[in-house]
Amino acid sequence: MILAVQIVILCLVAAAALLCAFYFPYPSPLIRRWLPPRKRWPEMQIRRWLKSGKFQRAFLRHFYSDPERAAPPGSTLLAPADGLVTSADVCGGIRYLVVALSFWDMHVQRSPVAGKVISVESHGDDFMDGEGREFAFLREKTCPVQKRLVIATDAGPVAVRLITSLAARRIETWVHEGEEVTRGQRIGRILLGSTVVLELPATAKLLVREGDRVWAGETSVAEGLTVP
Amino acid sequence: MSGFLWTADHLGWGIFALAVFTGLWLLLSDFCWRLTRSRITRFAATMATGWIVGVALILFGFYIASR
Repeated sequence: MILAVQIVILCLVAAAALLCAFYFPYPSPLIRRWLPPRKRWPEMQIRRWLKSGKFQRAFLRHFYSDPERAAPPGSTLLAPADGLVTSADVCGGIRYLVVALSFWDMHVQRSPVAGKVISVESHGDDFMDGEGREFAFLREKTCPVQKRLVIATDAGPVAVRLITSLAARRIETWVHEGEEVTRGQRIGRILLGSTVVLELPATAKLLVREGDRVWAGETSVAEGLTVP
Repeated sequence: MSGFLWTADHLGWGIFALAVFTGLWLLLSDFCWRLTRSRITRFAATMATGWIVGVALILFGFYIASR
Protein backbone atom coordinates (compact mmCIF):
# COMPACT_ATOMS: atom_id res chain seq x y z
CA MET A 1 0.00 0.00 0.00
CA ILE A 2 2.77 2.41 0.97
CA LEU A 3 4.68 1.46 -2.17
CA ALA A 4 1.62 2.23 -4.32
CA VAL A 5 1.25 5.66 -2.73
CA GLN A 6 4.97 6.32 -3.22
CA ILE A 7 4.76 5.34 -6.88
CA VAL A 8 1.73 7.57 -7.47
CA ILE A 9 3.49 10.55 -5.85
CA LEU A 10 6.67 9.94 -7.84
CA CYS A 11 4.65 9.66 -11.06
CA LEU A 12 2.96 13.00 -10.31
CA VAL A 13 6.31 14.68 -9.67
CA ALA A 14 7.76 13.14 -12.83
CA ALA A 15 4.74 14.30 -14.86
CA ALA A 16 5.18 17.84 -13.52
CA ALA A 17 8.87 17.79 -14.51
CA LEU A 18 8.00 16.42 -17.96
CA LEU A 19 5.42 19.17 -18.47
CA CYS A 20 8.11 21.73 -17.66
CA ALA A 21 10.43 20.20 -20.24
CA PHE A 22 7.67 19.83 -22.85
CA TYR A 23 6.58 23.47 -22.66
CA PHE A 24 10.08 24.96 -22.28
CA PRO A 25 10.97 27.78 -22.92
CA TYR A 26 7.34 28.74 -22.24
CA PRO A 27 5.82 28.27 -18.78
CA SER A 28 4.25 24.95 -17.89
CA PRO A 29 0.47 24.97 -17.27
CA LEU A 30 1.20 24.06 -13.66
CA ILE A 31 2.88 27.36 -12.86
CA ARG A 32 1.26 29.58 -15.50
CA ARG A 33 -1.64 30.75 -13.36
CA TRP A 34 0.64 32.34 -10.78
CA LEU A 35 2.64 34.38 -13.29
CA PRO A 36 1.79 37.92 -14.43
CA PRO A 37 0.36 38.09 -18.00
CA ARG A 38 3.63 39.14 -19.64
CA LYS A 39 5.42 36.15 -18.14
CA ARG A 40 2.47 33.80 -18.55
CA TRP A 41 2.30 34.30 -22.30
CA PRO A 42 5.70 35.46 -23.60
CA GLU A 43 5.60 37.60 -26.74
CA MET A 44 7.49 34.98 -28.75
CA GLN A 45 4.78 32.46 -27.97
CA ILE A 46 2.00 34.88 -28.95
CA ARG A 47 3.72 35.59 -32.26
CA ARG A 48 3.81 31.84 -32.94
CA TRP A 49 0.08 31.66 -32.25
CA LEU A 50 -0.49 34.58 -34.61
CA LYS A 51 1.22 32.65 -37.40
CA SER A 52 -0.60 29.39 -36.71
CA GLY A 53 -3.93 31.01 -35.83
CA LYS A 54 -4.23 28.83 -32.73
CA PHE A 55 -4.30 30.48 -29.33
CA GLN A 56 -4.47 29.22 -25.80
CA ARG A 57 -7.99 29.67 -24.50
CA ALA A 58 -6.76 31.26 -21.29
CA PHE A 59 -4.87 33.87 -23.32
CA LEU A 60 -7.95 34.65 -25.40
CA ARG A 61 -10.04 34.99 -22.25
CA HIS A 62 -7.47 37.46 -20.95
CA PHE A 63 -7.30 39.25 -24.28
CA TYR A 64 -11.07 39.65 -24.58
CA SER A 65 -11.47 40.83 -21.01
CA ASP A 66 -13.58 43.93 -20.66
CA PRO A 67 -13.40 45.20 -17.09
CA GLU A 68 -15.62 47.94 -15.78
CA ARG A 69 -13.97 51.35 -15.56
CA ALA A 70 -14.98 54.37 -13.52
CA ALA A 71 -14.45 57.70 -15.26
CA PRO A 72 -13.01 60.37 -12.95
CA PRO A 73 -15.28 63.34 -12.24
CA GLY A 74 -14.76 66.49 -14.27
CA SER A 75 -14.57 67.27 -17.95
CA THR A 76 -11.04 66.15 -18.76
CA LEU A 77 -10.43 64.06 -21.84
CA LEU A 78 -9.92 60.41 -20.98
CA ALA A 79 -7.53 57.95 -22.51
CA PRO A 80 -9.31 56.01 -25.26
CA ALA A 81 -7.25 52.86 -24.71
CA ASP A 82 -4.98 51.02 -22.32
CA GLY A 83 -1.32 51.29 -23.19
CA LEU A 84 1.74 53.50 -23.35
CA VAL A 85 1.77 57.03 -24.70
CA THR A 86 4.34 56.94 -27.47
CA SER A 87 3.97 60.42 -28.94
CA ALA A 88 1.88 63.57 -28.77
CA ASP A 89 2.93 65.54 -31.83
CA VAL A 90 1.06 68.55 -33.17
CA CYS A 91 0.36 68.87 -36.86
CA GLY A 92 -1.94 71.37 -38.50
CA GLY A 93 -3.47 72.55 -35.22
CA ILE A 94 -4.31 69.01 -34.13
CA ARG A 95 -2.50 67.09 -31.45
CA TYR A 96 -2.12 63.38 -32.18
CA LEU A 97 -1.87 61.50 -28.90
CA VAL A 98 -0.69 58.01 -29.76
CA VAL A 99 -1.38 55.15 -27.36
CA ALA A 100 0.40 51.90 -28.15
CA LEU A 101 -1.27 48.73 -26.94
CA SER A 102 0.60 45.57 -26.15
CA PHE A 103 -0.64 41.98 -26.43
CA TRP A 104 -1.40 42.01 -22.71
CA ASP A 105 -3.46 45.18 -22.61
CA MET A 106 -7.22 45.27 -22.46
CA HIS A 107 -8.34 45.91 -26.05
CA VAL A 108 -11.68 47.66 -25.58
CA GLN A 109 -11.63 51.36 -26.42
CA ARG A 110 -13.64 54.02 -24.63
CA SER A 111 -14.85 57.45 -25.57
CA PRO A 112 -12.59 60.25 -24.28
CA VAL A 113 -15.44 62.76 -24.17
CA ALA A 114 -19.20 63.03 -24.04
CA GLY A 115 -20.72 64.06 -27.33
CA LYS A 116 -22.38 62.97 -30.51
CA VAL A 117 -20.73 60.60 -32.97
CA ILE A 118 -20.73 62.43 -36.27
CA SER A 119 -18.82 59.90 -38.33
CA VAL A 120 -17.37 56.40 -38.28
CA GLU A 121 -14.95 56.13 -41.19
CA SER A 122 -13.13 53.04 -42.37
CA HIS A 123 -9.73 53.23 -43.99
CA GLY A 124 -7.98 50.36 -45.69
CA ASP A 125 -4.36 49.93 -46.66
CA ASP A 126 -4.79 52.58 -49.36
CA PHE A 127 -4.85 55.14 -46.57
CA MET A 128 -1.07 55.01 -46.61
CA ASP A 129 -1.08 56.90 -49.88
CA GLY A 130 -2.98 59.78 -48.42
CA GLU A 131 -2.77 62.18 -45.55
CA GLY A 132 -1.39 59.85 -42.94
CA ARG A 133 1.98 59.02 -44.43
CA GLU A 134 3.87 61.65 -42.49
CA PHE A 135 2.89 60.24 -39.11
CA ALA A 136 5.24 57.90 -37.36
CA PHE A 137 2.41 55.82 -35.94
CA LEU A 138 1.36 54.95 -39.49
CA ARG A 139 4.83 54.61 -40.96
CA GLU A 140 5.59 51.85 -38.48
CA LYS A 141 2.78 49.74 -39.90
CA THR A 142 3.23 48.28 -43.34
CA CYS A 143 -0.48 48.18 -44.14
CA PRO A 144 -2.59 49.87 -41.49
CA VAL A 145 -6.29 49.32 -41.28
CA GLN A 146 -8.22 51.98 -39.44
CA LYS A 147 -11.54 53.12 -38.09
CA ARG A 148 -11.81 56.80 -37.29
CA LEU A 149 -14.59 57.91 -35.00
CA VAL A 150 -15.31 61.61 -34.84
CA ILE A 151 -17.18 62.84 -31.78
CA ALA A 152 -18.69 66.33 -31.76
CA THR A 153 -18.39 68.19 -28.49
CA ASP A 154 -19.30 71.73 -27.47
CA ALA A 155 -15.64 72.64 -27.96
CA GLY A 156 -15.30 71.11 -31.40
CA PRO A 157 -14.70 67.64 -32.82
CA VAL A 158 -12.45 65.08 -31.18
CA ALA A 159 -11.48 61.97 -33.12
CA VAL A 160 -10.33 58.52 -32.10
CA ARG A 161 -8.46 56.36 -34.58
CA LEU A 162 -8.36 52.62 -34.00
CA ILE A 163 -5.44 51.22 -35.96
CA THR A 164 -4.35 47.69 -36.63
CA SER A 165 -2.24 45.97 -39.23
CA LEU A 166 -3.46 44.24 -42.35
CA ALA A 167 -2.52 40.92 -40.71
CA ALA A 168 -5.04 41.41 -37.92
CA ARG A 169 -7.41 43.80 -39.75
CA ARG A 170 -10.28 43.28 -37.34
CA ILE A 171 -11.75 46.33 -35.70
CA GLU A 172 -15.18 46.37 -34.10
CA THR A 173 -16.99 49.65 -33.52
CA TRP A 174 -19.94 49.65 -31.18
CA VAL A 175 -21.32 53.14 -31.85
CA HIS A 176 -23.04 54.57 -34.89
CA GLU A 177 -23.29 57.95 -36.55
CA GLY A 178 -25.71 60.18 -34.72
CA GLU A 179 -25.41 58.29 -31.44
CA GLU A 180 -24.79 60.19 -28.23
CA VAL A 181 -21.89 58.80 -26.24
CA THR A 182 -20.96 59.41 -22.65
CA ARG A 183 -17.49 60.02 -21.31
CA GLY A 184 -15.78 56.67 -20.84
CA GLN A 185 -18.39 54.70 -22.79
CA ARG A 186 -17.21 51.66 -24.73
CA ILE A 187 -16.85 52.56 -28.41
CA GLY A 188 -15.11 49.57 -29.95
CA ARG A 189 -12.43 46.95 -29.84
CA ILE A 190 -9.35 46.20 -31.93
CA LEU A 191 -8.73 42.49 -32.16
CA LEU A 192 -4.98 41.95 -31.88
CA GLY A 193 -4.57 45.60 -32.72
CA SER A 194 -1.86 47.81 -31.50
CA THR A 195 -2.47 51.54 -31.77
CA VAL A 196 -5.11 54.06 -30.82
CA VAL A 197 -4.70 57.72 -31.69
CA LEU A 198 -6.64 60.49 -30.04
CA GLU A 199 -6.92 63.63 -32.15
CA LEU A 200 -7.65 66.72 -30.12
CA PRO A 201 -7.21 70.46 -30.59
CA ALA A 202 -3.61 71.57 -30.06
CA THR A 203 -4.88 74.17 -27.60
CA ALA A 204 -5.92 71.51 -25.08
CA LYS A 205 -3.52 71.14 -22.17
CA LEU A 206 -1.90 67.72 -22.13
CA LEU A 207 -1.82 65.92 -18.77
CA VAL A 208 0.34 62.98 -19.84
CA ARG A 209 3.81 62.68 -21.30
CA GLU A 210 5.52 60.32 -23.67
CA GLY A 211 6.18 57.04 -21.88
CA ASP A 212 3.24 57.38 -19.48
CA ARG A 213 0.97 54.42 -18.90
CA VAL A 214 -2.73 55.15 -19.42
CA TRP A 215 -5.96 53.23 -18.81
CA ALA A 216 -9.00 53.54 -21.07
CA GLY A 217 -11.82 55.53 -19.54
CA GLU A 218 -9.90 56.17 -16.32
CA THR A 219 -6.79 58.22 -17.06
CA SER A 220 -7.23 61.91 -17.79
CA VAL A 221 -4.98 62.77 -20.71
CA ALA A 222 -5.92 66.37 -21.49
CA GLU A 223 -8.01 69.27 -20.26
CA GLY A 224 -8.96 72.72 -21.31
CA LEU A 225 -11.14 72.04 -24.34
CA THR A 226 -12.60 75.48 -24.93
CA VAL A 227 -15.57 76.61 -26.92
CA PRO A 228 -14.23 78.51 -29.94
CA MET B 1 22.18 2.36 3.91
CA SER B 2 19.88 -0.44 2.79
CA GLY B 3 17.00 1.28 4.60
CA PHE B 4 17.73 4.41 2.60
CA LEU B 5 16.97 2.77 -0.75
CA TRP B 6 14.50 0.08 0.20
CA THR B 7 12.76 -0.88 3.39
CA ALA B 8 10.03 -3.39 4.19
CA ASP B 9 7.95 -3.71 1.01
CA HIS B 10 8.39 -0.12 -0.19
CA LEU B 11 10.93 2.49 -1.26
CA GLY B 12 13.18 3.80 1.46
CA TRP B 13 12.00 7.12 2.83
CA GLY B 14 15.40 8.64 2.16
CA ILE B 15 15.46 8.06 -1.58
CA PHE B 16 11.75 8.85 -1.82
CA ALA B 17 12.22 12.20 -0.08
CA LEU B 18 15.20 12.96 -2.34
CA ALA B 19 13.24 12.22 -5.51
CA VAL B 20 10.22 14.28 -4.46
CA PHE B 21 12.38 17.16 -3.22
CA THR B 22 14.36 17.23 -6.47
CA GLY B 23 11.19 17.30 -8.59
CA LEU B 24 9.57 20.04 -6.54
CA TRP B 25 12.82 22.04 -6.47
CA LEU B 26 12.92 21.86 -10.25
CA LEU B 27 9.39 23.28 -10.46
CA LEU B 28 10.20 25.99 -7.94
CA SER B 29 13.37 26.89 -9.84
CA ASP B 30 11.44 27.20 -13.10
CA PHE B 31 8.82 29.40 -11.41
CA CYS B 32 11.38 31.66 -9.72
CA TRP B 33 13.44 31.94 -12.89
CA ARG B 34 10.42 33.35 -14.73
CA LEU B 35 9.76 35.89 -12.01
CA THR B 36 13.30 37.04 -11.34
CA ARG B 37 15.41 39.35 -13.46
CA SER B 38 18.77 38.17 -12.16
CA ARG B 39 21.45 36.68 -14.38
CA ILE B 40 21.05 32.99 -15.17
CA THR B 41 24.50 32.00 -13.81
CA ARG B 42 23.84 33.68 -10.48
CA PHE B 43 20.35 32.26 -10.30
CA ALA B 44 21.51 28.73 -11.18
CA ALA B 45 24.23 28.91 -8.51
CA THR B 46 21.65 30.00 -5.91
CA MET B 47 19.20 27.25 -6.77
CA ALA B 48 21.97 24.62 -6.92
CA THR B 49 23.14 25.71 -3.48
CA GLY B 50 19.57 25.43 -2.20
CA TRP B 51 19.28 21.95 -3.67
CA ILE B 52 22.53 20.83 -2.03
CA VAL B 53 21.39 22.20 1.34
CA GLY B 54 18.03 20.41 0.93
CA VAL B 55 19.70 17.11 0.06
CA ALA B 56 22.09 17.49 2.99
CA LEU B 57 19.16 18.08 5.35
CA ILE B 58 17.34 15.01 4.02
CA LEU B 59 20.48 12.86 4.45
CA PHE B 60 21.07 14.27 7.90
CA GLY B 61 17.43 13.67 8.88
CA PHE B 62 17.63 10.11 7.61
CA TYR B 63 20.88 9.58 9.54
CA ILE B 64 19.33 10.91 12.77
CA ALA B 65 16.16 8.83 12.32
CA SER B 66 18.01 5.62 11.63
CA ARG B 67 20.45 5.85 14.55
